[in-house]
Amino acid sequence: MSNLHKVLVIEDEQNICNFLRTVLETNDYQVLIANSGGNGKTMFLSHNPDLVILDLGLPDIDGTELIKVIRQESEVPIIVLSARSNEKDKVLSLDLGANDYVTKPFGTEELLARVRAAIRSNRFAGGVRPASQRFVLQDLVINYDARVITIEKKEIKLTQTEYNIVELLSVHAGRVLTYAEIVKKVWGYSDSGSIKKLQVNMANIRKKFGEKPGEYRYILNELGVGYRMNADTEDSTE
Amino acid sequence: MKKYWSFLKNGVFSIVVWLAFFVISVVVENWLETNTMVPAIFALAVFLISLYTDGYIYGILVSLLSVLVLNYAFTFPFLKFNFSIPENLISAIIMLIITILSSALATKIKNQEKMKAETYKETMRANLLRAVSHDLRTPLTTIYGCSCAIEEKLDSLSKEQLQQLIQGIKEDSQWLIGMVENLLSVTRIDTDGVKIVKTPTVLEELIDIVLMRFKKRYPGQKIFVDIPEEFISIPMDAVLIEQVIVNILENAVQHATGMTKLEIKVFTRGNQAVFEIRDDGCGIDKERMENIFTGYFEMKEAPVDHQKRSMGIGLSVCSTIIRAHGGRISVENRKEGGCVFRFMLDMEEEESE
Repeated sequence: MSNLHKVLVIEDEQNICNFLRTVLETNDYQVLIANSGGNGKTMFLSHNPDLVILDLGLPDIDGTELIKVIRQESEVPIIVLSARSNEKDKVLSLDLGANDYVTKPFGTEELLARVRAAIRSNRFAGGVRPASQRFVLQDLVINYDARVITIEKKEIKLTQTEYNIVELLSVHAGRVLTYAEIVKKVWGYSDSGSIKKLQVNMANIRKKFGEKPGEYRYILNELGVGYRMNADTEDSTE
Repeated sequence: MKKYWSFLKNGVFSIVVWLAFFVISVVVENWLETNTMVPAIFALAVFLISLYTDGYIYGILVSLLSVLVLNYAFTFPFLKFNFSIPENLISAIIMLIITILSSALATKIKNQEKMKAETYKETMRANLLRAVSHDLRTPLTTIYGCSCAIEEKLDSLSKEQLQQLIQGIKEDSQWLIGMVENLLSVTRIDTDGVKIVKTPTVLEELIDIVLMRFKKRYPGQKIFVDIPEEFISIPMDAVLIEQVIVNILENAVQHATGMTKLEIKVFTRGNQAVFEIRDDGCGIDKERMENIFTGYFEMKEAPVDHQKRSMGIGLSVCSTIIRAHGGRISVENRKEGGCVFRFMLDMEEEESE
């Protein structure tokens, strides 16, 4: 039991807790449930989980506050449960350090894909480049030393900026990076046109990768929020 | 900011109108060589200003000004204030009464208009609510009934039966999710009359999200996409426009009988992005076409069967959303069969750069 991944669920809705517990336990995760923010804080500190699933709408503490508290202590991946129409909450959570969000209502497949991706992404916690010097995602390979990207062994010619964006996303694979975060890290500054600049670059990257809307396999699109490098090779993207 | 703007607007309007009438008075006085017309002209000015400005204050200020000017410039003794003559005093009082009455009248009319708009909104909301509650009952019956059956008969149900019940729960909850998303879209527009917030949205990313969401719900349905090669960014509330496209696609899947091809086409025309969703199904008959975006037809005549529900609210939500964007939405039958839904959004130039 002890070598299973430990998932802490902080959620006050009993039925959702039951659902999450069933889904996660039947997929070989060890599940801890906290029914309030205060409880969650304590359990986080005493159990040292591998992943936190956090509902933003808790009765006692604002979920975003809890993200701050957790981030002061550790780099554990956090998945936020949020409402679909609330991009502001999503962006805020991500900027505070959450790895990902799942919008309610969600299905089991979607949840499990995010959970796998989040736990995997923690290998590169803190955005440190992986020691392997290579990033592999399906048929896409990034050679960090040579700054070369290949798909199906064919080199993809990117500009410096485009490469930097892809590298940044790959280092944080599985994690949603907000537009603002990417702009800050790639250009080092931001102005009113910089998000558009990022979007234009992304469109070019996708064109070079040969990706069409509805079929993005490498860089996933979080509309109104940011981008995410796919990390889940078992993902049902085909 | 808004207050300041209204102050400026009302103030400028009052001054302009009043000056215009002042000039008219002078002209008339010189032309007819009598000042008997002047009070009437000023009364008209005061009346107009009271009618077309907000509240009482502008009307009263203007009427005081008129009384003073009338007294000073147009009545004996000329170019002197003199309130000792009873006629002057009485005309001043009459002027004030006119002002107050017409301001009161104007305020009343405005309130009535506001109430009319409010009532219209209320009716729309009530219609929506009725359609929704009516539509909610069916899936809830399935979900509640199926789960009760599973709970009570868990041991005696065959695997196939169980699967069927669960499938029913899943399908109807998906339908409910769709309904809730639509309702949320409407509230997102309606809350305290705030205008929607438009952010520049990349067309291909929008289409990607639409396709992903649609694929989750209808994995078997292929959609052809035809969008311009170049980078296009359109200011919109992406969550809402996504909802519009998904609703129209969903409508096609559910109602376009005999459809073999479903297509999204987007192109630019002048300063507008034109979105077209085409199918080659059975088309829409004329009677239905007229009310397709109001949801009215559905409520009145729709059979309570599983297939037809929700069409009304989906499309009326579309039209609400597009109108809130200042765009236009329409539908027509295609010559070659099937129909095409079309909506247009403005693509203002990016203010940055």
